[in-house]
Amino acid sequence: MTITCDQLTKRFGSVTAVSQLSFEVLPGRVTGFLGPNGAGKSTTMRMVLGLDTPTAGRALVCGRPYRSLQRPLRMVGALLDAGAVHPGRTARDHLGWMAATADLPSRRIDEALDRTGLAAVATKRVRDFSLGMRQRLGIASALLGDPPVLMLDEPVNGLDPEGIVWIRTLMRSLATDGRTVLVSSHLMSEMALTADHLIVIGRGRVLADTGMDDFIATNAKGDVLVRTPRRDELAGVLTRAGGAVQVESVDTLAVEGLALEAISEIAAENGVRVLELSGRTASLEQAYLALTQDATEFQSRTLEATA
Amino acid sequence: MSAPLGAALRAEWIKLRSVRSTYITVGIALLLGLGIGLLDVISTVHNWSGMNAADRASFDPVGNTFSGFQFGELAFGALGVLAISTEYGTDLIRTTLVTVPSRRLLYTAKVLVLSVFALIVCETCAFSAFLLGQAVLSHRNLDVGLAHGHVLRAVGFAGLYMMVVTMVGFGLGAIIRHTAGAIAAMVAIVFLAWPAARAVESFSSLPDRMLLINAADALTATHPATGLHTERIPSFGFACLDLIVYLAVFLGIAAWRFTRDA
Repeated sequence: MTITCDQLTKRFGSVTAVSQLSFEVLPGRVTGFLGPNGAGKSTTMRMVLGLDTPTAGRALVCGRPYRSLQRPLRMVGALLDAGAVHPGRTARDHLGWMAATADLPSRRIDEALDRTGLAAVATKRVRDFSLGMRQRLGIASALLGDPPVLMLDEPVNGLDPEGIVWIRTLMRSLATDGRTVLVSSHLMSEMALTADHLIVIGRGRVLADTGMDDFIATNAKGDVLVRTPRRDELAGVLTRAGGAVQVESVDTLAVEGLALEAISEIAAENGVRVLELSGRTASLEQAYLALTQDATEFQSRTLEATA
Repeated sequence: MSAPLGAALRAEWIKLRSVRSTYITVGIALLLGLGIGLLDVISTVHNWSGMNAADRASFDPVGNTFSGFQFGELAFGALGVLAISTEYGTDLIRTTLVTVPSRRLLYTAKVLVLSVFALIVCETCAFSAFLLGQAVLSHRNLDVGLAHGHVLRAVGFAGLYMMVVTMVGFGLGAIIRHTAGAIAAMVAIVFLAWPAARAVESFSSLPDRMLLINAADALTATHPATGLHTERIPSFGFACLDLIVYLAVFLGIAAWRFTRDA
């Protein structure tokens, strides 16, 4: 019950969107799929779902090409774009035609509506749905066939805080059930809470395929926060001792390159009183930005002119 | 193959009956198709005593009941376009292709569901228009029965022709993938192509005989064409061939395009 990409390549004319991508998404855990805009995430997901044909290589779901699946809804639940719905159809009818393609009983439609909190609006036209409700309908259609593999593209998009907690819990429980869950998102804080494993791509290549903790430890160093009434004096001695020191506020320094114990010792030797001393681990966001800095296709212009 | 086809057919049928545009287009087709024919027949019955011999001789009790059918054809052509173009307009096509990844299976299901639905509704429309019209005409004993001459054939083909227009619309919708563009193309090809055929008439009248509207005349006539320009009207057999060619060309190109990409 895995998703496998093997030397997957896609070129659009002279532009290479995805280049020899190889990875495997395993069951029993939530795998985060990260990468800057234009990195090839959507193209990869489209190829896995048979919407685009690879230029070279192949993508397999449970060992088979997606297009050869007889009733794919029972195998893979996909949320690609919550807007890909006819606005004139009711939620129940939308799920109804989808259920029919996989010979699913209508009980499944009720279950999916219940599970996503849409039961009360089942007979409303999708036109009248908010973005969050459409997102829930997209998730309902992914859950419809009770599939062992789930692929969710930006699932928290448009959800309110309660909805975000709900989808996080849902993805965790799907993985605990032993399902394969691949989820893409640009929200790093959310991803840090949800994913166990990460696949990061940039410019069409795999940059990292590793566990969450390893990823952060490898790509970003933590620092030490020091609060002292004699800020500038301490900054001077720490810099001379080899630390990279940055001023955080009127009495606070952030120090990289020196261990917490070393900083404490240096401060004591120099007779500088320390009010607070604490180690900080790097966030997923810092690790991600450090890794993808060079691979960002559409990097925002820094304000060099005014800086 | 048989189980997935059955499932795909059910899914496409749910899609067709769960959008409002299906009911609106069919409603308009029935209202105008039946209503205008009925008005025309009532007006004939009303004016009969004042009509001259030539007008009375050229009266066609079958054709008269189909006066509103061009509106019906327009509505059904639009139904055909909408049945596929809205999938592209709303991006639903991506969900559809993920759900039914075999393009050939999906296309087959779409064509079968729409054509069977259109055939049933169009034949219902044709026979209702005919029977209503004859009921009115019977007041002056101008009515004809289905068993008379080519009457059954004419009524049956009036419905079949409308179904073919629906499927030409569907083909154009699948080729152009844009509602307004496909409806414009459908109107041009089905209703407005005659000046092009006229323009080359001095070389050949073959293009005239290949026009859908002239084929419709031949298929729904109860007598051979008379008067000027009979060479424009195809024979019954040629008109049947026209329908087959139009279906094959538009559904064929659409199938090619549909199965080539997402």
